[in-house]
Amino acid sequence: MSERNRTVAVYRNREVGFQEFTVPENERTTVLDALEYIRARIDPDLMYRHSCHHGSCGTCGCAVDGKFVLSCLTRLGDLEGDVVRVEPLPTMDHIGDLAVDPTKFFEEFPEGLTYLRPSEVNAKAERPEDVAEYTRFENCIECGLCVSTCPVTADFTGPAALAAIDREIEKHPEREDEMLDLADGKRGAAACERALNCSRVCPTGVYPAKHIAFLNRKLGKRRAAEKE
Amino acid sequence: MADPTNYHIVVIGGGGTGAALAYDLAQRGYRATLLERGELTSGTTGRHHGQLHSGARYAAGDRSIARECMEETRVLMRIAPEAIEYNSGLFVALTAEDEAFAETFVESCAEAGIPTERLSAEACLRLEPGLNPAIRCGVRVPDGTLDAWRLPLHFFAAARGHGALIRNFAPVVGIELDRTGVRAVRMRDLRSKREEEIGCDLVINAAGAWAGQVAGLAGVSLPLTPAPGSMLAVRKRLTNLVVSRLHPAGDGDILVPQRGLSIIGSTQWQTDDPDDVVPSDEEVEFLRESAVAMVPGFAEAPYQAAWAAVRPLAGASVDVEAGRALSRDFVTIDHGKNDGVGGLVSLIGGKATTLRAMAEQAVDVVGGLLDVSRECRTAEYVLPSHRAYYRNHATEPERSA
Ligand SMILES: Cc1cc2nc3c(=O)[nH]c(=O)nc-3n(C[C@H](O)[C@H](O)[C@H](O)COP(=O)(O)OP(=O)(O)OC[C@H]3O[C@@H](n4cnc5c(N)ncnc54)[C@H](O)[C@@H]3O)c2cc1C
Ligand code: SF4
Ligand code: FES
Repeated sequence: MSERNRTVAVYRNREVGFQEFTVPENERTTVLDALEYIRARIDPDLMYRHSCHHGSCGTCGCAVDGKFVLSCLTRLGDLEGDVVRVEPLPTMDHIGDLAVDPTKFFEEFPEGLTYLRPSEVNAKAERPEDVAEYTRFENCIECGLCVSTCPVTADFTGPAALAAIDREIEKHPEREDEMLDLADGKRGAAACERALNCSRVCPTGVYPAKHIAFLNRKLGKRRAAEKE
Repeated sequence: MADPTNYHIVVIGGGGTGAALAYDLAQRGYRATLLERGELTSGTTGRHHGQLHSGARYAAGDRSIARECMEETRVLMRIAPEAIEYNSGLFVALTAEDEAFAETFVESCAEAGIPTERLSAEACLRLEPGLNPAIRCGVRVPDGTLDAWRLPLHFFAAARGHGALIRNFAPVVGIELDRTGVRAVRMRDLRSKREEEIGCDLVINAAGAWAGQVAGLAGVSLPLTPAPGSMLAVRKRLTNLVVSRLHPAGDGDILVPQRGLSIIGSTQWQTDDPDDVVPSDEEVEFLRESAVAMVPGFAEAPYQAAWAAVRPLAGASVDVEAGRALSRDFVTIDHGKNDGVGGLVSLIGGKATTLRAMAEQAVDVVGGLLDVSRECRTAEYVLPSHRAYYRNHATEPERSA
């Protein structure tokens, strides 16, 4: 494993702007590893969010060299340039350095959405009698990258919550009406400008733009049915 | 008998243990404040392997730990079902030695109250076609997959709903004593970069692998050795069940599926610094080979991440084999009795699966110290969703489990 040094410029605050740190790097070193190194060895005050270190919790989103990514899955070795620039996500409330408060993001999710879904793996395989259905967690890890990259400037429920609402309809068709009510209106699915940035940035393949399109189609159908 | 609302308890450490403590304390009526130096669950809790332990892995070594895991598995399925992929687990025999272990394994599980189902190699492959076709037999057990971040968030949400104050980016930098014991903690608020003194009647040290450092702030020696273990995730879900090697607990012998990932773990080494833990090339290679031996498709799946989490091993100089046996249990230490520093209790060890039971035991100890007799009721209510932590947490009604 070859080790070399790399410069990482981390956003601190309005007065300081970016602060540069030198960190050791090998083939696997991620931006999050670099932040961990800085906090442990150089500045214990450094604020950043992280938990799982493998792309499942969704806490570690940030802008690296201008792109919205999960810091735990972004390897320094895959980034060009001598200096790696790391900034907080712009759409959540900034609380210090790279850390943001995701409250506003979570408030867009309606109460009572389920988080488990049927597993698609080995669909034809046998299942034990005591397991009613193989399940797994939703792909969406609620990282908010899609919301950060969305160009819609008007008041908007946002891609993540809308995708979750459509997933709920797919899993529980009996909840369709209740869910469509949540996606209806000016700040709902209709506000989407179809830029598709959200689907491109999503680290777990949720394709929120596709779900928003599905919602608009379902809303259209419902409106047509109501007119009849 | 004393009134718990008269007592302010500070919990140091916002991992799963701290989360369950804050909820338990607040539900029993104490005023509770939790302080976490970084983001919540940024220590060991968020990074663990994500296995809901039925206890089968520990049954041959220690029946009582295994029994506790089974009981808590049942409780978590009632109070936090949305944080668990409950597809059961399969222990598979790859060698004649593994196969010979099946008898002991099944008997120990039975003694610990863990149901098992012995399966032929063919039956295993019918459940999980991705298994190595050379397996000799298997045993199915009630294991599952946890969401390492969202399970504790359920507890944090419930804690807030009961009035506990949860503060992240709030490292404790000092513990103030008077003649009888702990009087206050000093915390550095990273948001304002200012120090704050927080008066309290009792402190629970739930700082995991950092608990030795925290105890040191009160002048108490708590010799813990940080023992990191590594994991490797690939971007393909290969199984629905958790797949483990049918042999006494060792390294690289559990493959946990989660969302669209498969995660193999773990290893164990020792270090002085719990903040300096990065897997080595050798470990990553070892983990990959161990996974491939059980599920060959792991070899072609794209790399996602390799990382490490840290166990706190009791005793400063235990060797690794002894350490493995020691580390599964948890202890509540009353430093008043042990070290003459009143108002300080440490809760160390355990598993993510047993977070609720750990908190119950420690808060019972606290009740004894403060003469408060309130029963633990955390097993009785369905927890609010993880998202409720960031939302209108106080408004979600309590539902019986
Ligand atoms: C490799 C590995 C794999 C594991 N896999 C599993 C598994 O599959 N299933 C399972 O059930 N269990 C598993 N475990 C066990 C499980 O992860 C732990 O038992 C559990 O996470 C411990 O939680 P905790 O809250 O006690 O510690 P931690 O999560 O470490 O919490 C302690 C917290 O204290 C904070 N802290 C430290 N110092 C201070 C300070 N001065 N002020 C404020 N806060 C401070 C830290 O930042 C940290 O967040 C695994 C453990 C390891 C090491
Ligand atoms: S849809 Fe994708 S990008 Fe958006 S919050 Fe979910 S995981 Fe993140
Ligand atoms: S730390 Fe969990 S997604 Fe990056």
